[in-house]
Amino acid sequence: MLKLKGVEEVYYPTSVKEAVDLLRKNKDVAEVVGGGLDISVLPNPRIKYLIFLDKLNLNYVKDAGEKIKIGAMSSITDMINAEPLKDYLHGRVKEILSEIATELLRNQITVGGSLGKREPYSDIVTLLYGLNAKVVLSDGEWDEELGINDLYRENFRKGLKERIIKEVILEKYDTGKFFFSMKRHIRNATDIALLNEAILIEKDGNKIKNAIVAVGARPKPAYLFREATEFLKGKELSKELAEEFGKFVESNVETGTDIRTTAEYRAHIAGVFAKRIILESLEG
Amino acid sequence: MKVKYIINGKEEEYEIHPGEVLLDVLRRNGHTEIKGNCYLGTCGACTVLIDGVPHTSCTILAAKVNGKEITTIKGIGELDSPHPLQQAFVKTGAVQCGFCTPGAILSAYALLKKNPDPTEEDIKKALDGNLCRCTGYVQQIEAVKFAVKLLKEGKNE
Repeated sequence: MLKLKGVEEVYYPTSVKEAVDLLRKNKDVAEVVGGGLDISVLPNPRIKYLIFLDKLNLNYVKDAGEKIKIGAMSSITDMINAEPLKDYLHGRVKEILSEIATELLRNQITVGGSLGKREPYSDIVTLLYGLNAKVVLSDGEWDEELGINDLYRENFRKGLKERIIKEVILEKYDTGKFFFSMKRHIRNATDIALLNEAILIEKDGNKIKNAIVAVGARPKPAYLFREATEFLKGKELSKELAEEFGKFVESNVETGTDIRTTAEYRAHIAGVFAKRIILESLEG
Repeated sequence: MKVKYIINGKEEEYEIHPGEVLLDVLRRNGHTEIKGNCYLGTCGACTVLIDGVPHTSCTILAAKVNGKEITTIKGIGELDSPHPLQQAFVKTGAVQCGFCTPGAILSAYALLKKNPDPTEEDIKKALDGNLCRCTGYVQQIEAVKFAVKLLKEGKNE
């Protein structure tokens, strides 16, 4: 089964600059390939040129002092096995990553590819939103560090025809002050999510100083649920708050209906996850 | 375009279409021991090892892995000298229709290379992408445990 019939040529650039030059030259008919899962499962017949990034040495997870730097070509498995992420946020991130898809696909899916494709059901995008990750875009001469929300500003796909995603940067959070959790609703162990939700809480004693709430697979792509952040700010962590927050999320989260489930069901699940995450945070 | 691979230790060169997936290239060139089914990366029947790491060859572009080392089920054991995993799958009844077997064994092989003493949870995780509609997985897990025992004893059976 020839999947990408329109492809005429492939390139193996050895520098980011060379990759970007190829991309700029061929724009709408060229595609950068991360792991290549998406491009082979959902082939775009317009694509004539494939640009493989395998020779750019972007496969790494580095401890960089107060940050962790992840090369765009790192697979989910690379991240799971990386020493700097082993105990990151009490190992919760590693645990979440190891539940995504299957071992075979975790070996193929890259962090850069997930961000670049921004599939609505992506767990990686929701996870990185929740972790307040930064993304480094590069044209080979100049790097720009952006928040995920800034990456996904209007016309981000057009922007990714001018630059490539080079790296993801994670903050090292003090687990005495920060709590993180993510939940995914799936019908079976290897399914794509019907809804996913990630919450990062910055605590001041038992009070919530700040929070990030990200919801994805709604079925629209992940978004920052700012109203939920405002709801949590300044409140005391308690069982009562968990109840109230769950109800707030269910009533206010933006969800939709598709063939897989309804907006109401997704909103209900989002509320349940919100409640559970607050309860978990009480346990530490 | 031309691509080169080292398949089961032997260097091979193929003419491919740049938009083809690895599964089609390998099967067209005689490696029918690799099974194809979903073309979505969902079933794992087409599993091969690329530089020792298991992948679904139906979702890997053949051009992307140009120059890499590929291992198929034939690369880990022969009919007259099967790998302990192959023996264990037969011994424990983990093979019924056999369509998923090459992929499941290769996933297990990659696991045991990385972790020679896996827990049941590790085994389940490693095989989670290899669907089997016959065995119900219980025998496959038993097979991997039995292979671990054989490998520890340093004998083939």
